[in-house]
Amino acid sequence: MEQPLLNRSEMIILQPSSLKESLKVLNENPDAEIMANASDLWPRIRNGEVRPKKILDISGLTNELSYVKKDGNVIKIGALVTVSQLEGESFVKEKRFSAFVDLISKFGSPQIRNVATVGGNVCAASSSEDFIPLFLALNAKVKLSSVDGERYMSIEKFLAGKRKLNRRPNEILTEISFEDPGTGYGSAFEKVGRRNTLIINLVNLAVVGKIAKGKIEDIRIAANRVKGKIPERAKATEEFLKGRELNEETLSGAKKVFEEELILTDDVRASATYRKALLITMLERLIKKIGGVQ
Amino acid sequence: MTQMLVKINVNGIEREVLVDPDDRLLDVLREDFGFKSVKEACGTGDCGLCTVLMDGKPVLSCLIPAFQAKNHKILTLEGLNNDPLMKKIQDQFREHQAAQCGFCTPAMEIMGWHLLNRKKEPSKQEIKEAISGTLCRCTGYYDIIDAIYDAGREQ
Repeated sequence: MEQPLLNRSEMIILQPSSLKESLKVLNENPDAEIMANASDLWPRIRNGEVRPKKILDISGLTNELSYVKKDGNVIKIGALVTVSQLEGESFVKEKRFSAFVDLISKFGSPQIRNVATVGGNVCAASSSEDFIPLFLALNAKVKLSSVDGERYMSIEKFLAGKRKLNRRPNEILTEISFEDPGTGYGSAFEKVGRRNTLIINLVNLAVVGKIAKGKIEDIRIAANRVKGKIPERAKATEEFLKGRELNEETLSGAKKVFEEELILTDDVRASATYRKALLITMLERLIKKIGGVQ
Repeated sequence: MTQMLVKINVNGIEREVLVDPDDRLLDVLREDFGFKSVKEACGTGDCGLCTVLMDGKPVLSCLIPAFQAKNHKILTLEGLNNDPLMKKIQDQFREHQAAQCGFCTPAMEIMGWHLLNRKKEPSKQEIKEAISGTLCRCTGYYDIIDAIYDAGREQ
């Protein structure tokens, strides 16, 4: 195996001017680290945590990868869409997508929101990325582009572990898409950290669901940690809730199932017990919010 | 070392600079161009004191690789020296004694200027949100919020 680069000033920066060119360059340099607007990667390069020999800078491809569009029933978000750009999109303002509003208002700081990209958030693949649980709850797909063509993969499958992606070395994540669940659905997102702005979350939780006439017809729940070190769906809790009436009995039952489903560990930022207590409380709150109860 | 020639428009003037691959926009602004209003405190994107406007939007110059700033328009406080709105903000900062050590002041004034450009009379809550990513360790923020608030009403 090649030795990592010790002197970061020796990095080779590759800056192609189109997506097509970028895919070609990446195909020839599969060891290159892909960099969008760098708000996550750059500090990790500067402190020596990541030592890439080559960087493929795709931040200039905004003409091609900064779109948000609705194609039939599918909402497509280009990988380079920034958090503040997303904030202004019309779909975000619809009630069923209020989870995006909840998320964006607590994302980083105003300055970070102007550079952090949706694609970069997904590719950072860690439990501190807020968009991942929401995209998991929306059954989102990623589009991977390479010189060989394009393919789609569920975001669940794309995330292979902490900072690990199911990505071929010559592929770039170019788009995230999800089906509009339609009217009748609602969504909610909450995170908890030590202050409102500029925090790394201790926990976050995204819920997407359809609760009509007091009955939970469909529900998808994802947290930054469920069993492992990356965001996951809480499928046992989802199964428990589906088809039940939204009442105190259902909620207390769901909280018990959720508590059993969560296998968390202590770390420097919070204990497992505290994280669990937060998530269980948040679950009830978000389900009630979607159900329109208080 | 592979140096790169990068073209950046800073404060309205097209400039060219040779940068190292690991240089930050912050380094270029302070060391190559001498714009010392741009401060480095944390260097990791947490404090907001290196805030500049890139294509009109506030960003953290410590988090931006110098090579990524190419072909972008950067504005620092120095570029707003003759701007009437900035003068009002600075007058109000003086009036309210909103600077103690002064280290966060350029970033606070830039965030205030950016907000007042989008919204003439923001609420105090909106001002708090606008400066939520910019840390001050002396004033307790209230004088800064009041200064931006009054500068908005004075326009």
